Amino acid sequence: MTVVQPGGGGGSSSGGLADVIDTILDKGLVIDAYVSVSLLGIQLLTIDARIVVASVDTYLQFAEATNRLDLAEKEKPGVPDLVGGILSSVTGGGGKERELPEGAGEEALAAGDEQVLEAAPEPDEAEQPAVRRRNRSREG
Amino acid sequence: MPTSEQPAACYVYGIVPADVELTSDARGLADRPVDVVRQGDVAALVSEVDPVVPLGRPADLMAHQRLLDDAARDVPVLPMRFGAVMTDARAVVRELLAPNEAGFRAALAELEGRVEYVVRGRYVERAVLTEVVGENAAAARLREQIRGRGEKEAYEARVRLGELLYRAVEAKRETDTGRLIETVSPYCVLSAVREPTHHLDAAHVAFLVDSARRSEFEDAVGKVGREWEERADLRLQGPIAPYDFVLTPGG
Repeated sequence: MTVVQPGGGGGSSSGGLADVIDTILDKGLVIDAYVSVSLLGIQLLTIDARIVVASVDTYLQFAEATNRLDLAEKEKPGVPDLVGGILSSVTGGGGKERELPEGAGEEALAAGDEQVLEAAPEPDEAEQPAVRRRNRSREG
Repeated sequence: MPTSEQPAACYVYGIVPADVELTSDARGLADRPVDVVRQGDVAALVSEVDPVVPLGRPADLMAHQRLLDDAARDVPVLPMRFGAVMTDARAVVRELLAPNEAGFRAALAELEGRVEYVVRGRYVERAVLTEVVGENAAAARLREQIRGRGEKEAYEARVRLGELLYRAVEAKRETDTGRLIETVSPYCVLSAVREPTHHLDAAHVAFLVDSARRSEFEDAVGKVGREWEERADLRLQGPIAPYDFVLTPGG
């Protein structure tokens, strides 16, 4: 288990579901570049890897956030709830940062949504690798 | 134990050397047992999957990554992108492993003893905006224009200010990403910059690291994290399977 967070705290080596989505839906070998004959067209429910798209809404959120800087300057520190405005408004908004794969599984996604995603359990840290090298007794 | 009348299909997690063994508790999607399908020096990690049930529930995604990350702790792995399904184990041998055996063997040899880490930095909103406003005279002027005016009245100035800040944060991300890579590059083999997934991302980079240098690498990331304290939160994910360092031919 290795998570470095300046403020302390911990986590699992594989990260949460958002980390998993960024990795396994966007990276890795793609089988149909190798194989086309027997690949089965099983429907994929999943959303695509997350991307950032700038829009007027985004700009207005930035402007609004600097507005809150003014407040903070006047009221001085000790107002922790002023921090993280963009974070919560952007991630809470849904949709904006995520794009659907064409056609596939849109209803499922709509039904799934963030709550379901966040309900996924953190991976357990296995005591021993489930996949490991055989004892190296190879000749030669 | 397929739940439909159609025969089970074969879900492919990744490619490993043929000399691996599984513990009996190796589990994949839907908690199915994982098998090894071998061809010469290479093998695929597979499990049965019901061909009529759509894939991609959170538990499916987590199971895919968990199996491969777990494997990557001990053996080189070429992870497949989520969702690779073939008709059966024979097809895996004939169409995936046999035609690509030499390429897979070479790629696995390069990944021997190496793991991936992903570093994500996220700016602390107030800190980074204070930085960019302080460094940007045009932004300061726009803020003066907006101050005390109604939302509608100052709409254009607000959009212009927001865009200016957005671009300034992008420029900071580029600088900070470069700084991160420079600081940890003595301890990694390769790095690959990922696309940002949030407007306030400070960095998002994958690193390939020799297992022998893991603690040096982790220390170097920790050092950057301490330097950035107050202005950005840094998170280190890993070791994971080397998703960012496998290439698909033609893609």
